[in-house]
Amino acid sequence: MIRRILFHGLLAMALLLTGIATASGQGDFATTDTNGPPPTPLPTGLILIPGAVARSSDSRTPLPETGRIVRSVYRNAYFGLSYTLPEEWIQEFSGPPPSDTGQYVLAEISPSKSFKGPSRGSILITAQDLFFSLGPGQTAAEIIQDSAEHLPSFYKLESGPADLDIANHRVTRYDYASPAAGLHWRVLATEVRCHSVQFVLTSADPGLLDAMVEGVKHSEFLAEPTPGRGGGEVPVCIPHYAVPANIEYKVEPVMTTRKADSMPVRIIIGKSGKVEHVHVISAFAEQATIITDALLQWRFKPYLVNGEPVAVETGLVFGFDRKRAAAKKSAHLD
Amino acid sequence: MTRRITSLFVLLLSLVVSQAMAQTDPGVRGGAAAAGGPLSSVAANNPVTILNFFNDAVDRFKEVDSVLGTLAGEEGVGLGPRYNSRSCSSCHAQPAVGGSSPATNPQVADATSHGARNTIPSFITSTGPVREARFIFFFSGNTPDPSRPNGGVEDLYTIVGRVDAPNCASTNDLPQPGFSTAVATNNIIFRIPTPVFGAGLIENISDESLLANATANAHNNFGIGGTFNHNGNDGTISRFGWKAQNKSLEIFAGEAYNVEQGVSNELFTQERPLPGEDMTDGMPAGCRNPTPEDHTNFNTTAIGTSSDTVAFAMFMRLLAPPVPSTTVPGGSSSINNGRNVFNAIGCATCHTTSLRTFNSPLTSSLSGATANLFSDMEIHHMGSGLADNVSQGGAGGDQFRTSPLWGVGQRIFFLHDGRTRNLLTAIGAHQSSGSEANFVISNFNSLSYSQKQDVLNFLRSL
Repeated sequence: MIRRILFHGLLAMALLLTGIATASGQGDFATTDTNGPPPTPLPTGLILIPGAVARSSDSRTPLPETGRIVRSVYRNAYFGLSYTLPEEWIQEFSGPPPSDTGQYVLAEISPSKSFKGPSRGSILITAQDLFFSLGPGQTAAEIIQDSAEHLPSFYKLESGPADLDIANHRVTRYDYASPAAGLHWRVLATEVRCHSVQFVLTSADPGLLDAMVEGVKHSEFLAEPTPGRGGGEVPVCIPHYAVPANIEYKVEPVMTTRKADSMPVRIIIGKSGKVEHVHVISAFAEQATIITDALLQWRFKPYLVNGEPVAVETGLVFGFDRKRAAAKKSAHLD
Repeated sequence: MTRRITSLFVLLLSLVVSQAMAQTDPGVRGGAAAAGGPLSSVAANNPVTILNFFNDAVDRFKEVDSVLGTLAGEEGVGLGPRYNSRSCSSCHAQPAVGGSSPATNPQVADATSHGARNTIPSFITSTGPVREARFIFFFSGNTPDPSRPNGGVEDLYTIVGRVDAPNCASTNDLPQPGFSTAVATNNIIFRIPTPVFGAGLIENISDESLLANATANAHNNFGIGGTFNHNGNDGTISRFGWKAQNKSLEIFAGEAYNVEQGVSNELFTQERPLPGEDMTDGMPAGCRNPTPEDHTNFNTTAIGTSSDTVAFAMFMRLLAPPVPSTTVPGGSSSINNGRNVFNAIGCATCHTTSLRTFNSPLTSSLSGATANLFSDMEIHHMGSGLADNVSQGGAGGDQFRTSPLWGVGQRIFFLHDGRTRNLLTAIGAHQSSGSEANFVISNFNSLSYSQKQDVLNFLRSL
């Protein structure tokens, strides 16, 4: 359904753009109602004017936000994640674009309308880029620990946090419930490529939740030589690598407009020190273009592992750094 | 025949049962308006004379504007040349002065007041919400041109034909915008008035508090992100308007006075043409008054010295927040349970229950106060279903400020365009592709009927 809406929307936009080629230059600002040819309507139900969204320097490199559900399996090439949905569960609505703190909604899954099971629930798969994460906790486990320790009073901790192993990844789990809402939550998180990848399972039925947890246990994650830190077939992820000591050449991105926003960026630096990929996680289009054009000219010292250069993935923030501001504020309060 | 009667009976019975089991919006909470008065320290006239300023500001907020200020009972100067309505309080009216869209839309009468010759657009009806219209894109001919985003307010009416605008007589000089073409091409969106109760408390929440609240919510389990809109000049967090595009109450007032009523003022000093008109001819000389029409009054009393714009801002700043009911609708048990459910399923991640205000030298009620606003003042992606495709500051086409929920119990129309009177529909509209609220709404949908009813009762108690 969503695909069909998208198709019709894009079709309508294409028609519009065709119209522009012939109509541009007529310049009618405060149009009054006229008796001209029938107008072409805009498509409805589409976001035609996005704000800050994610953009990438190429279309080949996998990105956190480009996972898809195909034949009831959610696959995400960036995280090497493969998760089989419960039978007759679907994603009806896609999530929002990545946030300016590097939070991704990867999938939102719930029973289809034809689902005949005895109880319902929902599954949320998210990823938090740990380079840009606000709040306490530098790792997936620390974030879970902090969340469990600071559960609001309207929740009741049921168990955990405790660790388990899924696909050679350390997964931290905790369970909690809301007596008022009659809902239970199971939260499982692990680290992949310096992201906290998290499953949030919700239902009123603990039995269903147990089955949902079993489903998550059959997931696959990217094989990383150092779990959570990349390597192997993907770059090693290193926070704060884009610092003066490692940069051999840089071109500053010069913004043409002033916006007080935060623009987190992930880059992949090849073995030679050349920037091979730029992923602007959240920025307006013109900002993303300027940042990408500049970063592709940067050169870094090659990163060596056992004396051999390896590809590196790191993050940096242009504009207002919300993480640094939050940390500074926290230090000040301490 | 018997079988048919039996089938009909079963059908009717199932309808009755499903109705009985279905949660419903209790509707606008009855009784006296739980808003509209001054902050308690203002009511106590602390500091001395502040109550006089408030009362004067209320009168000015209710003042009806005419073109020259010469019509009886309409002594405000400067209506038009383009306008949406003729008074602040005509739109900010429900449940009391300072609120939102009233049950009877004043814009129907505004169209032809004092001889004005306006056509009422199809989307303005006597029982519908007060609406401000914007075109998403400029037109090329009669086709929306996606290469030219618009987003500016297209005022509904002009003063052409009014008895107090004798030199502004030709609709050719000052045509209404092409609303029927805009409607036919889906190139139009609407906004309704935001209530301004408790606005002084919102204005006085420090940026630091807002940032700390955002950090505290960063690791929520609902997939909610959010960010702030910022004022372009000083870079601080802006917070008023549907997209938090306005920094302060004075800017909010000055812009609304110019845009909605067409009154130029000391913040927005020229008469306002339509978007696009300002790049070509502007407006005919015969339709314009000397500017600014609203200004500091040097030859009057101390209170009267302030411009209307300053007084409007002071009215909003000193206006008390709505007082919630602890028992209506549904009783205290249902309301309390609804509050807990509202928090637990994630609504409160964005609709932050309360924030503290910073110190204020104005009056004690604004200083270090708890503002139970139910908003984080952040802008959030609300998805394709709610997107209005207007970008304002850092907010894109589907981003909106978390609407403060205080006073929602006595509101008639919901969402930015007033598309529904039903809270349940408004909640459901939070879910669509691209929305940050999807998972929260899934949680809401997982609740039992009675739990949903508790949430609705809680919201209508506010």
